[in-house]
Amino acid sequence: MAAPKTYLTAESALADVFDGAVVLVTGFAGHGVPQTLLRALAASGARGLTCICAPAAPPGGVAPAFGVSQLVAAGQVSKLITPMPAHPEEDGPVAQQWQSGDLEVEIVPQGVLAERMRAGGAGLGGVFLSAGAGARFHQGKELREINGRQYALETPIKADFALVRAHTADTLGNLIYQGTGRAWGPVMAPAARITIAEVDHVVEAGGLDPEKVITHGIFVHRIVQRVAS
Amino acid sequence: MADRISELSLVQRAAQELSGGQLVALGPGLPTQIPGVLPRQGAIWFLADSGALGYVTQGTDEAPASSVDSDGRPVALGPGGTVLSLVDAAGMARSGRVDVAVIQTAQVNSRGDFTHWTTAATPGQFIPATAVDLAAGPKKVIAVMPHTSPEGKPNLVADLEFPVDGVGSVSTIITDVAVLNVTHRGLMLMEMAPDWRMDDVQAISGVPLMPPPDMGEMTFSITPARSPSKVFQNGVDALFDLKDGATVLIDGFAGPGGMPHYMLVSLREQGSKELTMISNTAGIARIVNFGTPPGMTAIDHSILIENKQIRKVIASYPVSPRASKPSAFELAYRRGEVELELVPQGTLAERLRAGGAGVAAFYTPTGVGTRIAQGKETRTINGKEYLLEQGLQADFCIIRGHKADTLGNVVYKGTSRNFNAVMAPAARVTIVEVDEVVEAGTLNPEEIVTPGVYISRIVVRPKEFSPYE
Repeated sequence: MAAPKTYLTAESALADVFDGAVVLVTGFAGHGVPQTLLRALAASGARGLTCICAPAAPPGGVAPAFGVSQLVAAGQVSKLITPMPAHPEEDGPVAQQWQSGDLEVEIVPQGVLAERMRAGGAGLGGVFLSAGAGARFHQGKELREINGRQYALETPIKADFALVRAHTADTLGNLIYQGTGRAWGPVMAPAARITIAEVDHVVEAGGLDPEKVITHGIFVHRIVQRVAS
Repeated sequence: MADRISELSLVQRAAQELSGGQLVALGPGLPTQIPGVLPRQGAIWFLADSGALGYVTQGTDEAPASSVDSDGRPVALGPGGTVLSLVDAAGMARSGRVDVAVIQTAQVNSRGDFTHWTTAATPGQFIPATAVDLAAGPKKVIAVMPHTSPEGKPNLVADLEFPVDGVGSVSTIITDVAVLNVTHRGLMLMEMAPDWRMDDVQAISGVPLMPPPDMGEMTFSITPARSPSKVFQNGVDALFDLKDGATVLIDGFAGPGGMPHYMLVSLREQGSKELTMISNTAGIARIVNFGTPPGMTAIDHSILIENKQIRKVIASYPVSPRASKPSAFELAYRRGEVELELVPQGTLAERLRAGGAGVAAFYTPTGVGTRIAQGKETRTINGKEYLLEQGLQADFCIIRGHKADTLGNVVYKGTSRNFNAVMAPAARVTIVEVDEVVEAGTLNPEEIVTPGVYISRIVVRPKEFSPYE
């Protein structure tokens, strides 16, 4: 029998997070953020984290009660890799630490970030993408003309941990999502050494329709039930 | 000077640029308001940065919504709408599948270069979100923005004040006083807001504007769009424009499951020659012969080879598992009638995925040190050796689904999903053979595997059709 993947608390599922870990965090514009896991990550006190995520605080969406920006505010994050660190007019901890230089920020267009994680999860050594051709984003990259068009070599992203918010898991870790809560989960889950899912419901193996499974249990190592804040 | 038009009018004018059946990507800001101003919802496919595809409305306060738009506001999925992971959404944008992208820009110059979100208030910030992705792939990029900044400076500029996010991407600019086209000679003023004069528009623009042969006034009414039907009455009709020499993807694994038997027979009847066929096997179902009634053979890719329609095969498993029973492809290959490019199965899938997702090439460890590596670039990355493989794209793709809705969303059954899902986005025209067509909105949006965006034509396999002959 495989070892059980369900954990009783988020804290126990994150017990081995270490200082300096690279952590993928799902969520788009405050939607699909694994808040239970992020609270536990804050409580763990781990520092020097590199977080790879979409905007920590959304421009028009409803900010999550607990997001990566709270980790930034607590000084636990030393680097953010994101397509959009903060809304230009916003004055939150991310914007402040970004401007002051306390937070290192690597900005990657959303589609390129997704493709780099997919490459990491699929075992590729790199991909040639056209996004950003001729723009500042291509500066300093290996460029190559393929079939008459300019492409840049993008390197894979692999992480130590992925914190993935999904709707339902079975006990083997197969996941389904709800609506655009799907955004980052399917691409982040395969890109980390340890993937931890935060879900509303856990069902027995066989309880999910196999045609509907989006993220395969192979990629999910630990399951935590969401705790309402 | 006359009044500038309202945000709503600007959005309505932008909506006039769109037509039924198009795939339209909407970035954050003003573009997110477009679905809300359409008189008929659902005829245009909207793609949001969040992965919502085919969403229709915006702005309900009911919580919790399960889907949001590019600004994070709740939206509802329309009939046939679905959700994509962001890697699939990015592939859709990058691969040229998007007809129109509407981006809110901070500045545009006369060459159509733009800066997305960096402003005088945030000079050091580079905030591409999806704008850099959307600048690269779509057939047309429309920039929407106020004509001037909050400080009253022109947003149409000779030189961008901030680094460029997209080079030469924008073809049309819609502001609160004018519509402009980017031409090779500069910006042409096409329309002005009511009561505006060209001198007044020029006075708040940072670049010289050219008058068009025929100046128009901006209007704001929108004609309801309709999406064209994708359902064809029979297989041969659905292949009407497949010409000699075309490259065709045809799905299928080893056995009879998940193979478009009816379309294979239709392609044989249609008769195009000199085809390049890309498939997992080149036809071994009739040799494997699972479940074939006595005295009959299974229909598979072999029928096209026997009919001498195939010039080249790109496949991972082109030979018979039994030496005593060679496949039609093997016999033709020995006679020198067809060429072969051999690709490992996983690499074939990855090359197709790359072709469908706008990835030109990728480094894979598969095949290093084998004959597969001959003639290919190798590279050591972090101590591991990789081969460079190219994306694959085709003119046509023929797949086998279980059900489609009228918009072309497809679900599969069991492992008959095989190559179907990865092939569908990799061709210019994808035709799906299904058991049943259902109304849009009937399939569960969470369950849709291949979005209708990738399906051009739907053919129902006739009830009486037999996969054996």
